[in-house]
Amino acid sequence: METINVICVDDQKDVLDAVLRDLRPLEDFFRLEPAESAAECRELMDEIDERGESVGLVISDHVMPGELGVSLLGWISATPRFSKTKKILLTGQANQADTIRAINEAHIDSYFEKPWKGEELLGTVKKLLTAYILEKGIAYEEFMPVLDQAELLTFLTRNGFDT
Amino acid sequence: MTKAKWIKMCAAIIIAAVVFCLPYEAFGVSVNPVERRVIFIFALAAFFWILEPFPIWTTSMLVIVLMLLTVSDHSLLLFRSSADGETFSNLIPYQSVMATFADPIIMLFLGGFFLAASATKYRLDMNLARVLLKPFGKNPKWILLGLMAITAIFSMFMSNTATTAMMLAILAPVLSVFDANDKGRAAFALSIPVAANIGGMGTPIGTPPNAIALKALGTAGANVSFGEWMAFGVPYVLVLILLSWFVLLKIFPITKKEMELSVGDKFLRTPKAIIVYITFAVTVVLWVAGEGVHGLDSNTVAMIPMAVFALAQIITKDDLKKMSWDVLWLVAGGFALGLGLSKTGLASHIIGAIPFASWNPVVLMVGGGVICLVMANFMSHTATASLLLPLFAAVAVSVGSHLDVLGGVTALLVSVAFASSLGMCLPISTPPNALAHATGFVDTKGMAKVGILVSMMGMILAYVMMYFLAVIHFFD
Repeated sequence: METINVICVDDQKDVLDAVLRDLRPLEDFFRLEPAESAAECRELMDEIDERGESVGLVISDHVMPGELGVSLLGWISATPRFSKTKKILLTGQANQADTIRAINEAHIDSYFEKPWKGEELLGTVKKLLTAYILEKGIAYEEFMPVLDQAELLTFLTRNGFDT
Repeated sequence: MTKAKWIKMCAAIIIAAVVFCLPYEAFGVSVNPVERRVIFIFALAAFFWILEPFPIWTTSMLVIVLMLLTVSDHSLLLFRSSADGETFSNLIPYQSVMATFADPIIMLFLGGFFLAASATKYRLDMNLARVLLKPFGKNPKWILLGLMAITAIFSMFMSNTATTAMMLAILAPVLSVFDANDKGRAAFALSIPVAANIGGMGTPIGTPPNAIALKALGTAGANVSFGEWMAFGVPYVLVLILLSWFVLLKIFPITKKEMELSVGDKFLRTPKAIIVYITFAVTVVLWVAGEGVHGLDSNTVAMIPMAVFALAQIITKDDLKKMSWDVLWLVAGGFALGLGLSKTGLASHIIGAIPFASWNPVVLMVGGGVICLVMANFMSHTATASLLLPLFAAVAVSVGSHLDVLGGVTALLVSVAFASSLGMCLPISTPPNALAHATGFVDTKGMAKVGILVSMMGMILAYVMMYFLAVIHFFD
């Protein structure tokens, strides 16, 4: 099975733990990686890329010491190696200008406001990771138990084949 | 590559090497070095397909390349002649090995892909489903039958997997509001893959094992046209769908009294959409009418929609890239394996060593079907057909008229091909089963129960039908 990483970036340890707890049902299928700053996330992504693994999703807070979340996500979407990586902004403190930049420049796939509902976040994460797997052409069969049904069925209606 | 896959790969290579080294002469079969290499390739392909250290289509590609390198007339020099310098007489022309990927039956399938892709793109499938579902009303029992019939009809022309995905997408929202104790949920979730697997048998392009069967039939000198196949395939599908409907209702009684499905919207009326409707209809009519009426072979007919859709830009460059080329490679590899078995003389040498002609023809027919059915439950349907059909084609030729009471070579090969499509007891048996299982509305036990019953009924029905066709001299 291809190793797909999911990175959560937040400077507050308790938020990080809460996000990882919400995503625990995905543990057997994806590697969940915490990062406490944008710099750590970049470093982690480079390491993952060097190992030949992929980064399926980055969930990032916005206001953090050092580089801001929107800027990190903007870098990800501008980097060809990670152009297919999905991005979620999870924040309580983004102003309108930040939000506009998040959409126009960082091309985020989803926006969550703190406090978030665990179930909703998990659903969105599943959906985005399903899209990532299908877009990248990764063998989806092994991820079947955690894939988003609707997303998979729509894809297979066009691309499904018999073996 | 994971450790498990490494182990599987090594195991497959070791087994193939052992099979390569067996003392065939001691069993009374004389095989020359070229045939021995084919035995190795066959065994390697078989175990790669069973253990799946690699995606199955890659094994097919490997078969073709290994054949070119070791048993073709342009193989490596050291493989071309024996120790005393004599060139082997049973090397295969390398063009024929490569040509398996451009075989007319591959073109037939590619034509089918064009039709299916355009129908989906212009929402013909969804809108037809809406129209066809209407007469079945709101009673869940009848809707179940309607869904099965529509799924079966669609999967005659689309892949079973794509049809299943489409129908499950329609069903899923409705099933999630069913009462959790209503066994009917399982009936509905299972009806789709069952009907899709059955429907695939209805036309030559319904599912890849049919391609392998057509090729094997051709090798054995028994060509079956598109129309002829449908003449027995479609009635077979209809009867089996009805029987499966009864089985599903019996095992999973539906308690819900009324339901409604929302499917599709309006038929598109753009010029492109109309071209799709007309081309689809004309192609099917030409296929059914057959060579006798218009002179065009069904494989040639399949290329008409390709040209029309490409010129009209209904199928774009992008659509072309997204087609299931892997399926075509998978089938081509199966053809190459068949070519290796027949052209080197290996199949007839091995088969000739076993006195099949003295066997009871019923044992031969039923035995072949059962072996195929068991294998198809655990591995790819196409791979199963690729391994077994060339062998059974050789058996059919070697026993000659001995099988004629039961319908001859055609009956044997078609029933084995049907058996490979009937492997549907487990979630891993076919992609449609895996999709239905993933919905969570049906457990493995329920799937196995229905799968076993339906495949048993399907086998018996196939034999009864073949016997009947033999009695009326359909294949003569």
